Amino acid sequence: MSKDGVEVLVDRITKCFGADGMALQDVSFRLFTNEFLSIVGRSGCGKSTLLNIIAGLLSPTEGKVLINGQPIHGPGQDRGMVFQHSGLFPWLTAVENIEFGPRNRGIPRDQRRARAMELIELVRLKGFENKYPRELSGGMQQRVAIARAMAMDPKILLMDEPFGALDQLTREDMQRELLRIWETKKKTILFVTHAILEAIFLSDRVIVFNSKPGYVKKEFVIDLPRPRQKSSPQFMRYYEEIYEAIG
Amino acid sequence: MKRSTKRSVDQQKSGRILGMPEQAVKIATVVVLIGIWEMLSQAGILNPLHFPRPSKLIATFWELVTVGYPTGITVWVHIKATVVRILQGYALAAVVAIPMGLAIGRSHLLLRATNPIITFARSIAVISLLPLAIVWFGVGELSRILLIAWGCFWAILTNTVQGARQVDVNYINAARMLSTSKTQLFFRVILPATLPRIFAGMKIGLGVGFMVIIAVEMVGTIKGLGALIQQARFYYSSHIAIDGMIFIGIFGLLISFTLDRLERIILPWAVGLEEVER
Repeated sequence: MSKDGVEVLVDRITKCFGADGMALQDVSFRLFTNEFLSIVGRSGCGKSTLLNIIAGLLSPTEGKVLINGQPIHGPGQDRGMVFQHSGLFPWLTAVENIEFGPRNRGIPRDQRRARAMELIELVRLKGFENKYPRELSGGMQQRVAIARAMAMDPKILLMDEPFGALDQLTREDMQRELLRIWETKKKTILFVTHAILEAIFLSDRVIVFNSKPGYVKKEFVIDLPRPRQKSSPQFMRYYEEIYEAIG
Repeated sequence: MKRSTKRSVDQQKSGRILGMPEQAVKIATVVVLIGIWEMLSQAGILNPLHFPRPSKLIATFWELVTVGYPTGITVWVHIKATVVRILQGYALAAVVAIPMGLAIGRSHLLLRATNPIITFARSIAVISLLPLAIVWFGVGELSRILLIAWGCFWAILTNTVQGARQVDVNYINAARMLSTSKTQLFFRVILPATLPRIFAGMKIGLGVGFMVIIAVEMVGTIKGLGALIQQARFYYSSHIAIDGMIFIGIFGLLISFTLDRLERIILPWAVGLEEVER
């Protein structure tokens, strides 16, 4: 997989929350174009906070985020986000959820519907486009959430434990689906999880986060061909090393 | 968690009771209770002045429909007067309370500033405002409509405020990631997310409207179901008072049923999501 250029530069980010102290301390790393990078760490280690800062939903106390050399000011069309609890709007159907962003931008109805239907096909939900979120399973809801994040055609996908609430089997299906989408659509993905196996299965690189305060502890390049076998000895070696690094 | 457990218990209950269809059991319960009441009256155990016989109530019912009480003012006139009043007061309350509730619910400053006033004002019973309303607005229709509006207002306002402030932050973050302007955020996220709660407030508000109607029709009118009951009270005509109550009950039932139907049509995605708070 060819990796060209730095897409996202996280530059010495520190985030303090009032009296709760420091959530992130001096976090720096790079995310390359078309790369799949995961951040793993214990719950509450600040990885979601970091993702929200890169998304532009939170501002850092210190430091900055550069995208293609430009500092970010709030959310932007270049970034899409998938949340753990899908955040799908329950009052809109699947296809209307996907059209939400394009409609905000005033894209004509026919055009945005056609685009949304393409995405419905991409996430394999044909036939479910007119269902409300509550009528869909957890896995299907996350498919809609991925399609919705992709509707603005962002170059970067930020994913905050997107499969954390799914059962194990659905979760493994979704991991394969995500890789397929990533490979066909050429996206740069920053994926936050606390599941080590998931991170190794998906990523080009895995960053291990320290807990309280959060900072980059260690970095692993996952040098295994895809599709990866979770039972292979190399895979298990990565698992043990990362597990140890988390501490 | 709690909610889903409750629903599953309800589901077990629905369908059949003791092997009989649920509807039949419900109707039978009412019929049996009325039968007992009739028998106790016939046997002279219940004082007919306090508890008129059901058969007498049915006769009175017919009289109210045909002759009217006071003579010439049939029950249809009463119903029309009451319904028009309630709807006017209710609409007025909703028009003011919904925008106000949304504004208060979405502003920390407004919320903190108004919280004590709201709690204070909503505890003032409509009936206690009657003397003041008469002084300010006279004994005419205006007083009545404003008092009904007052009653409905607080239920709609407090529910709208709660709904607006409890909008899931996940929706707001998701929207912010999707090029949502401030105006779009309000109309495409805050408002729809608050609608189920607004609807709940509207349902409770309407109930309040029916509850305060007696107080509101106490003076200055002989038309209206509340006025009918007042007149009956004046002449110790329990049978007429009870029939008036039944009419109000039936109307409350019909309107609440209509609102439920309306909610299913307007908010198909929300049915069963919200528990109504009283």
